[in-house]
Parts: sequence; structure tokens; C-alpha cells
Amino acid sequence: MATQPARPLSTLTDQPGPRLKPAHKAMAKKRSETIAAYLFLAPYLFVLLVFSLFVSIYGIGLSFFRIDMGFTGPTFVGFKNYIQLFSQLANPGLSDFWTSMGNILKFTVFVVIFQTILALVMALLLHSIKRGRGTFRTMFYVPAVTSSVATSLIFLWLYNSEGVINFLLSLVGVHGPDWLNDVFWALPALMLLNVWSTAAMFMIYFLAALQDLPTDVLEAAEVDGAGRFQSFWYITLPLLRPTIFLVVALGTIGAFQMFDQAKFMTNGQPLNSTLTPMLEIYNEAFLNGGFGQAAAMSVILFILIFMVTILQRRFIDTGSRQ
Amino acid sequence: MAQLTSSSIQPARPQQTKPAKRPASWVRIVIYAFLILFVITSVGPLVFTFISSFKTMGDVLAFPPTLIPNPFVWSNYQLIFGNPLFLRWMFNSVVYAGAATLLNMLFSAMAGYALGRMDFPGKNLVFTFTLAVMMIPSAITLIPKFLIVNNFHLANTYWALILPAMAQPFSVFIMVQFMKILPKELEESARIDGATRWRTFYQIILPQVKPALTAVVILTFQGAWNDFQWPLVAMGTQNMYTLPLGLFFFKSTYYTQYNLLLAGSMFNTIPILILFFIFQRYFIEGAVASGVKG
Repeated sequence: MATQPARPLSTLTDQPGPRLKPAHKAMAKKRSETIAAYLFLAPYLFVLLVFSLFVSIYGIGLSFFRIDMGFTGPTFVGFKNYIQLFSQLANPGLSDFWTSMGNILKFTVFVVIFQTILALVMALLLHSIKRGRGTFRTMFYVPAVTSSVATSLIFLWLYNSEGVINFLLSLVGVHGPDWLNDVFWALPALMLLNVWSTAAMFMIYFLAALQDLPTDVLEAAEVDGAGRFQSFWYITLPLLRPTIFLVVALGTIGAFQMFDQAKFMTNGQPLNSTLTPMLEIYNEAFLNGGFGQAAAMSVILFILIFMVTILQRRFIDTGSRQ
Repeated sequence: MAQLTSSSIQPARPQQTKPAKRPASWVRIVIYAFLILFVITSVGPLVFTFISSFKTMGDVLAFPPTLIPNPFVWSNYQLIFGNPLFLRWMFNSVVYAGAATLLNMLFSAMAGYALGRMDFPGKNLVFTFTLAVMMIPSAITLIPKFLIVNNFHLANTYWALILPAMAQPFSVFIMVQFMKILPKELEESARIDGATRWRTFYQIILPQVKPALTAVVILTFQGAWNDFQWPLVAMGTQNMYTLPLGLFFFKSTYYTQYNLLLAGSMFNTIPILILFFIFQRYFIEGAVASGVKG
């Protein structure tokens, strides 16, 4: 273990030999600092190199191989995994992967828009009050700390065809569907759960940004006779642009990789209507043993996430950095 | 983004709570009405689940739903405590979350000390990589991570869970941000007193960054305790499941017995909520700081 690495080294340099010349002394000191620094870094470097850097390169490399665990060794197949996936685009409805991509696009657009608006509204409400702000903030944040498995279990029950949500709907005269078993309603039900469980986290970002807004600008606007709505639309909102970008980008990255609820609640059903790319990657690798094919799917998903984030940066964030 | 971090988890930050103008009274009523509505939607499902975990199976599935358990029963919890596998899952979760949290706190603080307060060749490279890997989504690492763990015969062991989580880039990032701003004199006076580097780190620097350590502890614990995807991939046999994974298995066994399932979900929820109510400040500030994690 590298828990007590630096002691002998630094004691050495702290009592240098009397005959060392200053230049040597400085060099020896520098070398000992380098060694000490790397000893402090060692455990982290191990994890960083193995489980972040190597794993990423390995993941991309895998997508060029065919791997069936156990029978034959991995065979290099070039772009074949990708070609196979893209050729399925001719009939995307029959392809699990492209079905999951279609689902996740719908899911991401809806979830990101609604959770961003909800997070902003909650933050603005909190920012406009003095009394009880901390208490309300704590209460709002509860869904964000609860585990996705526990909330999935709870919502499985609430979404029951004779569950609490349909009971509440029946109070206003609406006959609710059997949410999670309905091809049309299963995905929207998961969207709603995701908005519910993540909006509060992004509310915190908005709240932090609102508290850092320059008050003099808002006061100047007030002196000039700007109304509440005007100063929000023309001053607060533009100043929040970097935060909006952050929230939209992080929300998108998270939504694209949705897995827990799709696996836990519906397992992609009914009729693949809640199949997400991460679930399809999991199924392909761990149920079908197609690790290479699954790795190719991961790379496509990664590139998509990356491109969408860059587009978002151009359209949301640039305005604030002139 | 880095600015957001360093400005938002400052230890003692003056709260700037001055709304520009006092809203008119009817506006205030509307605002509070909405706030209360959001409280109900945020906390309501969990509170109602907690209450319902004391109901009988018939009551849990009753339509229209009842609010108060009648009769009030402990049997759901008794049944769960009587299940040796369930206790094992809880133990596994404590091992995973506990070990990941302790090791990550120590190792990321050590790395933060080197990157934030020492000078050595390769420092910028390591820091740049730290920032870069925070952008890599788990989509790309899930499968290779499993293959590596599997190759080293670590699948279905605690090591598979703990090793990848024991020094996390975003924790290192938080620690660096904090260590960087401490005054240089701290080490110089320690050096004059003849303290070794390890003692300087352990006795002088660490106490100065307690808020960062707390944020790292809480985020790591929350992440590991709630983690579902990685244990699902890495663990194979029932006795090695963590609690979220066990609940998944539980769900397929007690398919329609929601009274048991709801009581089971409370074991995953209540520990983290207790921590949250005690350390809420650090939960929230840590969340802002991890905004760059992605």
C-alpha cells in the first residue's frame, strides 16, 4: 500500500549532507519532490490508467473484433460490426439497435426540455423567497438522492393500472392507461419518472447561478423601470446562458445513457417500446455474447452524444461568450 | 465550470440572499402555493411508500388506495429480516459503499495534494487527463471494464466493485480545486518544524479541506450505494449481489407482493436519506461541484 510513502524520502532531503553544493542540493530536492509526488499519485494513476484510459481505448478497439466468449479467440473484422449496424438502417423498425436509438431520441428531447424548465422554475421560485428557502430546497432535493432502483420499484407500484396515479386521474374524470404495459404510454411513463428524479439536481445548479448574478445590473434595470418579467427575460435569462448550457448538456449526456429504469421496470418491453441503447448494448454483450458488436454500438452512441453536446454548445453557450 | 466549483464550495461563503424586490402579497401566495405543490410531488411518493410498507398485501393493492395502514403490520419487515439473502445483500452494499468511500477519500486527497501543491514533471499531463476522462460516458467503458475484471478473475468478487471506484477523477478534481487555494505558508512552517511530507499532508493539509472531503465522501457513498448497472454486470451469484441488485431479483421473485417490495425498497432509501438530512449542505454543494463530471 502506498499510504506512507513519503516519509523516508522527505526526511532525506530535509537533512541534506553538508558538503552538497547549492545546485546539487536544488536538483536533489527537485528529484525527491518528483518521487514523492508520484508516490502520492500512485493509487490514482493506477485507476486512471487502467479503468479510464486503457478501458476507453480497449472499448474502441473491441468494436473492430468479433468475440464469442469461450469458443474461439477474438478475430479482427475491421469495420464489419459497424457496416452490419448501419446496413440495418435500411429497415430500422426491425433492428433492435435503431429502435432503441429512436426511443432514446424521443426520450432525451422530452426529458431534457421538461427537466430544464422545471429545474429553472423551481430555482426561480426558491430564489424569490426568503423564509423557508433552505427547507424547501431540502425537500425538493429528496428525489435526487434516492436510488434509481428504489424509485423504480415505487413507481412500478404507482403506475399500476389500478395504482395511485390512475386513482388521482380518476378523481378528475380521466381513465388512465395501464402505463407500463401500454406500447404508447410506457416510454412517457419512464420520461416522467426521469424528470421527477433528476430535475432537483439541476435546480441546484440554477440556484447557485442565480445567487451569483450581479445584483447591480438587476438594480439598474429596476431603476430604468423594467418590470419583473422584462428584467427576467432580458437580463436574468441571458446571464444564465452558461448554466442553461451546462444543465442541457449534462441532462442530455445522462438521458442518452438511460439504463436503470428501462432494465428494472420494463426490460425494454412492451414490444421494444422502452428499449434504450444502453439496454441493447447490455443485452447484446451479456445475453448474446456479442461483445464486439456491442462495443461498436457503444462507439456510435458515444459519437452521437459527443456531437449533440458540441451542437448544444454552439447554439446555447456561444451567445454568452462574445 | 471550474469557476462554478471553486466559488460554490468555499468553506464559509456569505449567503447572498437579497431578492431585488419584495413581491406583492398575492404573488407571494401563488409562489408559496407552487412551492408546496412541488414539495408534495417531491416527497409525497416516498412518504406514501413508507406508510404503505406497513400495510397488508390486500391494502397495498386496494383501489381506491387507502392512506392509513389498517391493520398496521410489521410482518413485511419481519419477512425481509428473516431472509438471510437480504441481510447478505445489505452487508455487500455496506462493504462496497464503505470501502469505495474510504479509499476514494484517501487516494483522491493524496492525488489532489500532489497535483494541487507539488511541482513535478508530468503534472499538467495528469491533470489534463483527469479533466478529459470525466467527459467519457460510461457507455464506452462498461464492456471493456467487465472484460478486464473478468480476465483477472475478479468478476463476482468485492474487488470488481471496489477497484474501479477507489480513486475517482471527479473527486481528484474537487480536491485539487480546494488544495490549490490554501496558503503556501502552511507547508513552509511545517517544513521548518521538521515535519515529513506525509505528516504535513495528514496533519496540516487534510484538516484544512474538510468540506471537500465531506463532499467527496458523500458523493462516493451515494454513487456506490445507489449503483445498479456495474454490480449487475460484475456480480454473478446471488450471495454477491448488492442491495439494488438484490431488489431487482426480489422483484422477479415476489412479483405481485408489493407490500414486500415496498418494504424492501425502504432499505435502499432510508440510510441515504438519513445521511442526506444530516449532511444536506455537502450533498447539495457536492452536486454543484460534480457538475463537470458528466
